[in-house]
Amino acid sequence: MTAPVLEVTDLAVHFPGRTGAPVRAVDGVSFAVAPGETLGLVGESGCGKSTVSNAVVGLVPPTRGSLRVMGTEMAGATRATKHEIRARVQMVFQDPVTSLNPRMSVGAAVGEPLLVRGLASGAALRARVDELLEEVGLRPEHAQRYPHQFSGGQRQRIVIARALALRPDLLVCDEPVSALDVSVRAQILNLLVELQQRRGMASLFVSHDLAVVRHVCDRVAVMYLGRLVELAPRDALFAAPRHPYTRALLAAVPEPDPVAQRAKPRVPLAGEIPSPSNPPPGCTFHTRCPFATERCRQEVPSLRPLGESMVACHHAETLA
Amino acid sequence: MTTEPALIVENLSLALGRANLVDGVGFSVAPGEVLALVGESGCGKSVTAQAIMRLLAPVIRQTGGRVLLAGQDITALPERAMRALRGQAMSMIFQEPQAALDPLATVGTHIAEALRRPLRDVRDQVLQMLAEVGISDPARRIDQYPFELSGGMCQRVMIACALISRPAVLLADEPTTALDVTIQAQILDLLRRLAAERRTAVVLITHDMGVVADIADRVAVMYAGRIAETGPTAQIFARPRHPYTSLLLASIPRLTDAPKSALAVIEGRVPTPAEFGPGCRFASRCPLADDTCRAATPPLRDMGDGRLSACFHAEQLP
Repeated sequence: MTAPVLEVTDLAVHFPGRTGAPVRAVDGVSFAVAPGETLGLVGESGCGKSTVSNAVVGLVPPTRGSLRVMGTEMAGATRATKHEIRARVQMVFQDPVTSLNPRMSVGAAVGEPLLVRGLASGAALRARVDELLEEVGLRPEHAQRYPHQFSGGQRQRIVIARALALRPDLLVCDEPVSALDVSVRAQILNLLVELQQRRGMASLFVSHDLAVVRHVCDRVAVMYLGRLVELAPRDALFAAPRHPYTRALLAAVPEPDPVAQRAKPRVPLAGEIPSPSNPPPGCTFHTRCPFATERCRQEVPSLRPLGESMVACHHAETLA
Repeated sequence: MTTEPALIVENLSLALGRANLVDGVGFSVAPGEVLALVGESGCGKSVTAQAIMRLLAPVIRQTGGRVLLAGQDITALPERAMRALRGQAMSMIFQEPQAALDPLATVGTHIAEALRRPLRDVRDQVLQMLAEVGISDPARRIDQYPFELSGGMCQRVMIACALISRPAVLLADEPTTALDVTIQAQILDLLRRLAAERRTAVVLITHDMGVVADIADRVAVMYAGRIAETGPTAQIFARPRHPYTSLLLASIPRLTDAPKSALAVIEGRVPTPAEFGPGCRFASRCPLADDTCRAATPPLRDMGDGRLSACFHAEQLP
């Protein structure tokens, strides 16, 4: 296997909590992203998926663990090394309205990464910006305009063009289509799939929407309360989810098909996600799991291989 | 169903200055029925609900149409009479449950207020309602404040407030959009059960076709301030009779289609009210549009299967 673009090992990110106990937003997460691969990271609000993506781009410092980008360790790296690595990893955020400076023209925003790194200026920079805009389905004359002159979908295209400017090895997308309307969402998803295929770029795709993740990702990691509960190739995960949480999550997705949706067996998940500052002992999912036993309440399940998947459940075999 | 509709909206039109936000929207909902009002941002679905409740921002004027609640025209009711109806004969729940609750009032106070009684007089009734909306340990929760509850629990409290006075009509504006999928599934089950048990007519406003497929009996699809198509849920999904519905459904990634396949795209964008022309408002993005569509407004036509479509070319759709 080729060397991974991103290798995350035992990553933990804890924040100081109001009551003294740290908030364990991410608590021991390991995964890798291979070249050209799109890894989906799914889970509900507060599961730590955005914190993982923020740690990967260096926006929050890890409390523990290792983050390697193209083989280079990020934790404890010098400023110069971090500066180099950050060019290799670029990010697309959820809300294109707040991730563009309203006072910068589109051309200036898209060209800025090249300019600050001294990679292009003047006519060469303008030509490169034009190319980038065309690559995301905009027109070169759009460079003169300002963000408010564009619709939500077009603004997300601008954000993507800016992220592509440095030809990153890894694109981190944090809920890139969640703020967009349904019809516009399809345009951006089509663009992301096209870019994957054209550029062969790896990406980490964070989303709460399982149908969207299934559409764009090759492998999928499911997070619950700061930990990975399942990591599997896309088809394996959706055809045969191994973890009870993955199953409940899949069952809860309302499908836009009244016949299938109403025939679907309901796997109601009782209760709510516990607080990450006071996670339950043992398997953190045991408070909501219909299959939990005494062992689950005491012993933390490790992520272990099962068939094509990796699953963190003591009873995964008996559930199949 | 032959029962008299709980709510009828006829030919409702709303304007902001000279901009025409909602143009001739009409629908009806029977007791116990869930009607989904579906569309993308700016299509006029929320403002329609606000007009029914008469909670419109002062800058928005109702320029036509009427609203009938249990057969009674409430369009011209004085504000005092409307106040007597709100929360009693018709209630509304909102998208952000934490923002819709008063941070300084306890759960019990909120629900008792809907009954217009002091909490001590109706405590047992409130406790029972909390249990009915699936709040565990009601005796403890009744004295808690909204910040002590999760989003899902706040939404249950809002539903309890809305339903305790047994309204005939519930307007639910994106009630699960701010919630996680597993919590959304719980809330949708709850709404469906309560609507059926209490024979409440529900108008569910949403942009999520999955939610529509899950819970709605009938659907009204809105586009740019007009109704594009209405009909029973199963038919709308199986065979849309408006190109907008058809493209919208094809643009959604599903758990059953081929991953990474190209999704259908609706070219262009929704016109702003200033850009509305004389014709069909979807014409600029519609693959079937011709000169007729650009020149005249397509009326809602009966398709003969319980459906109405506002498309001149509805018959051409596969």
